[in-house]
Amino acid sequence: MVLRIRLARFGNKHTPFYNIVVAQARSARGAKPVEVIGTYNPIPKKPTNLYDDSTHVRPYKEIALDRARAKYWLGVGAQPSDPVWKLMSMAGLVEQKPTTFHKA
Amino acid sequence: MAPRIQSRRLSNALLPYLTSSQSSSTSSISSTCPSSKLFSRQFSSTAASQTRLRRHMFQWLSTEGAALKHHIPGETNYLPSRPDRDGNSNESSRPFPGNRNFVSESVLSEDLRNEVYVRVVEKKKSLRAVSVELGIDMKRIAAVVRLVEMERRQRAQGKPLSLPYARAVHEMIPTTALAQEGERQPYHEPINDLPAHPSTGAQIFYPVPESRSFTRVDAGRVFSGAPTLEKAVADKISHPSDLVDEIIENPNSIEWVGKGEKARQVLQPADVRIPHPQLIKLEIDRKAFPNERRAVTQRHAERLEKQEAAEQQRRERAQARREKSIQHVEPEGSRFDYRIQDAKFTRETVGADGRAPWAPGRRYGVPADDRKRGMVKIPTRVEA
Amino acid sequence: MRNRASTSLSKGKIRQSWSKYNLYNLSRFRTPATGNRTFFQQKWTAKAVSRAYHGEQVREGQWKRMFSKRIRSVIPMNTADLAADDGSKESAGRGSGLNEGSGRSRSSRPIPYTQMAFAPLERRLDVAIFRALFASSTRQARQFVIHGAVTVNGQKMRHPSYLLNPGDLFQVEPDRVMYATGAPKTAFERRESRQLKQKSADAEAEAETKPEATEKDEKENARDSLRALMSQAKTIMSTDKDVLPAKKKQELRGFQKAVRRVLSRSDTSTVLTDSLEAQFSELTLLLKAKRAEKKPAKESKKEAKEEETSAATTKSEETTSGALSEAFQAAAEGGKVDTSELTDEEFDILKRALTQMRDNPIDHSKPYATPWRPREYMSAFAFIPRYLEVNQNICAAVYLRHPVARPGSAEVPTPFGETISTPAYGWYLKRRW
Repeated sequence: MVLRIRLARFGNKHTPFYNIVVAQARSARGAKPVEVIGTYNPIPKKPTNLYDDSTHVRPYKEIALDRARAKYWLGVGAQPSDPVWKLMSMAGLVEQKPTTFHKA
Repeated sequence: MAPRIQSRRLSNALLPYLTSSQSSSTSSISSTCPSSKLFSRQFSSTAASQTRLRRHMFQWLSTEGAALKHHIPGETNYLPSRPDRDGNSNESSRPFPGNRNFVSESVLSEDLRNEVYVRVVEKKKSLRAVSVELGIDMKRIAAVVRLVEMERRQRAQGKPLSLPYARAVHEMIPTTALAQEGERQPYHEPINDLPAHPSTGAQIFYPVPESRSFTRVDAGRVFSGAPTLEKAVADKISHPSDLVDEIIENPNSIEWVGKGEKARQVLQPADVRIPHPQLIKLEIDRKAFPNERRAVTQRHAERLEKQEAAEQQRRERAQARREKSIQHVEPEGSRFDYRIQDAKFTRETVGADGRAPWAPGRRYGVPADDRKRGMVKIPTRVEA
Repeated sequence: MRNRASTSLSKGKIRQSWSKYNLYNLSRFRTPATGNRTFFQQKWTAKAVSRAYHGEQVREGQWKRMFSKRIRSVIPMNTADLAADDGSKESAGRGSGLNEGSGRSRSSRPIPYTQMAFAPLERRLDVAIFRALFASSTRQARQFVIHGAVTVNGQKMRHPSYLLNPGDLFQVEPDRVMYATGAPKTAFERRESRQLKQKSADAEAEAETKPEATEKDEKENARDSLRALMSQAKTIMSTDKDVLPAKKKQELRGFQKAVRRVLSRSDTSTVLTDSLEAQFSELTLLLKAKRAEKKPAKESKKEAKEEETSAATTKSEETTSGALSEAFQAAAEGGKVDTSELTDEEFDILKRALTQMRDNPIDHSKPYATPWRPREYMSAFAFIPRYLEVNQNICAAVYLRHPVARPGSAEVPTPFGETISTPAYGWYLKRRW
C-alpha cells in the first residue's frame, strides 16, 4: 500500500476548503486519514489594509502546514499528489516539478 | 396623503444652505397649515378617528412642534421635557423627555480632531500622552487618527465628501471645542474609567481583624478567591500602585488561581486596571514633594517613557513572532500570492482523539453545525 | 420582511425614526399607568412598548437569543482619591471607614443598570448607522446595508445584523447619507431634474452633430453661474449688516431675481460641477491677485487687473475655468457689480460664498434638494452616543466599545425611563421559552 499526501475536501458548496492529509492511497477522500498535516484555503482573499493604496495589491491564498511532520512523511516515502506537490514546492519542501512543456 | 406643510422656502431653496441667520429666519415662516384640503374630504373612506388624530398632530406641529422644525446653529433643539413640580422644564441636553438618564454628550469639534491628528502623527506623541493632555479616551484618539487619515486620503483622491451635512450636524449637537492658545483644554470625557469586573458582583462576607489593614489588593484577592498574601509580600506593597510597574513590564506575572477550566487571574486593584495608572504615582509624588514641581514632572515623564517603551517592545515582539510564522510566496506566472503559516498538528493541538474543537483544519467525525437553527451564519468579524 | 414599523398615530408607538409622526408620538408619550394592573401585565406592556423602539426589525426569538443579563458598567476613577488612600481607610473599623459621616461625601448617584437592557442591539450594524446619524431610521439604515452602500473595515458588508466588534470602522456612501438626512426635493426641483435628465439625453444624441453650440452654451452658463456667485456673496453681506439703505436692498433683490431666473432656466450647475476644484482655485487666485494690487495703487488697478485676468485666460484658454475668469472680467466691467469697490472684508465674504458654492452646489442630478439642507425635525433627534466616534465629512464611524452604564447615566439611547426599562428587563430575565 502506498501512503499519499493529498487534499481532502471540506467546506460547503462553492466554498471549498482542504485538509492536507497523509492517507492510504486507496482510501476514500472523506475517510479518516492517517494524519492531518495542514490546511489549504483556495479562495483568494484581498488584503484589506486601509492605509494601503489598493491599486497593485494581489489577492492571496492561505496555507497552513506542519513542516516537521511533512518532512517526516516525505522521508518515509509518502508521495505527494500533484496539487500538494505544488503547495509543498512553494513551502520549499520538495523540488518544483519540471513542466512538460515550455511557454513560448 | 398627509396635508403637506407648504414650502414657503422656494426663494431660499436656490441659495446654498447657509450657517447664520438663514435657518433661523426660515423657522419663523414655518407652516400656517392645516390646509383647507383637510376639511374637504367628503369622498374619503378613512376612519374618522384617524383624521382627528392627524388634525391634532398637525396642530401640534404648527404650534409647539414648530420650534423643532429647524435648528438654531450652535444650540441643541430637543423636545422640551414636561415641567416638573418645581416648574422648570428647560433641559437642553436631554433628547428624550421621558428618560432623565440619557444625555446628548458632546462630540469632538473639527479643530480638536485635527489637533489630535497633528499631535499623534506629526509631532509623534504617544496616544497615552495626548489622551491625558486633551482629556480624550485612548480608544477615541486612535479612532480619530484613523478617521482623519482616511479623510485626508479621500480629499487627496478627490472622492465626494459630505461637507454641508457635517457642518449641519456639528451645529445641532454639542461639541467640545479646541481651547484657545494659552487656555486650558477642557476635558472631553472621563479618561480613567474602571470597568466593573463580573467577579465583583458577588456579595462576600469576609471577616478581617480590625487591627489589620485591608487594602484594595486584598479585596481583589478575596473577590477572586485567592489566599491572603503572605505578610512579607504584603509589607513590600506600600501602595497598590506599586504593582503597576511589574505588570506593565510583564503582564503574565499576574498570579493565577483555580484549576483546569476554572483557572483565572487574580483580580488586580483599580490602580492597575484603570487606563492611566501612571497618573496615580504622579499624584502621590505631588503630595509628597509639593515644592519640587519640576522634579515631579520629570519623574512622571520618565515613568511614562519607560511604560511606553515596554509596551512598544511587547508590540514589536508580537509582530515579529507573527511575521516569522508566515512565509510569503509570490510564484511567477501566478495571479495569487500564497501565505504559508506554520502549524503544529500534534497531540496537544488536536487533542487525544484528534477531534478537539480548537484544532487547526476541519475535523473528522464531528457533525457540522454550521447550518443549524440558532447558529450564527454571517461573518462575526471583518479583518481590518 | 414585512414592514410593521409604520408610525401610526392611534397606537402611538415610538420608533427609531426621524419622522414627524414619530416626533409627535414621542411628545405625547406617557408612562403607562400601573395602578390596578398585575405585575405580569406591567412587564408585558413595558416589553411591548420598548421593543417597538429597540430592534423592531429583529424577530423576538432572535432578540431573546441576543439578550444578556450581564450589564456593562464603568466607574470613573479619580486618581487623586486613589493616591490618597490604599483602601485601608475605607475598610477601617467595622468595614466601612472610621468616620462614616465624611465617607459619604462622594456623590453616589445610582447606576441605571436596567436602562442598558437593550444594549446588545446597539452592536448591530443597522442600529449603529442610525445612531451615527447616517440614516433617518433604522429601517433606512438596513436598506443601505442590503443595497451594498456600507463597508465595514473596507469590505462591503451586506448583513444588517452584523454585530460590530470594538474597533470596527464602518462607512456609508456620502451620497446616500446626504439623501437620507437632506430635505426632499420640491415638486419644482423634481421637474428641474427631469428636464435636466431629458436635456442630457438630448445633448448626448446631438453631441456628434454640433459641438460648437454646446461650447458657446458653456460659456454663457459660466457667466450665469458667476452672476449667481456674486449675488450670493451680496446676500451674505446683506445678512451680516444690520441696516441697509433701501436703494441697495432693492438693487440686491433685482439681482437675486435675475440670477434665479437664469438658474431656473438652464442647467448652470453642470458646468460648475465639471471641474469645480479648478474653477474654485482659479477664482480664489483672481481674488487674491486683486486684493494684493489694491493696496499699492488705486488708480492703476483696473488695468493691472485686466492684465492679470488676461494672463490667467491665456494660461488656460480652452478650459471652462478660462471662460469663467473671462466671464468674471466681463461681469466686473459690465457694471453690475463693481468689484473694485469691494473692501477686504467683502472679499473675504465673497471668498466664503465661493467655498460655500463649491461645497454645497446646486445640482439637480442629486436625489435630494440642492443646495443641501438638513431635513425638517432632524435636530430633535440629533445626538451621537459616546461609544461611537463619527467623522461626518467622509460618513465613516468607529465603534469604539460596547455601550456602558456609569453613575447617573446610561449610554444606550432610549426614550423610556426606568419605570419602563426595569419591568422590560425583568421580562427578559425570566426564561419563558
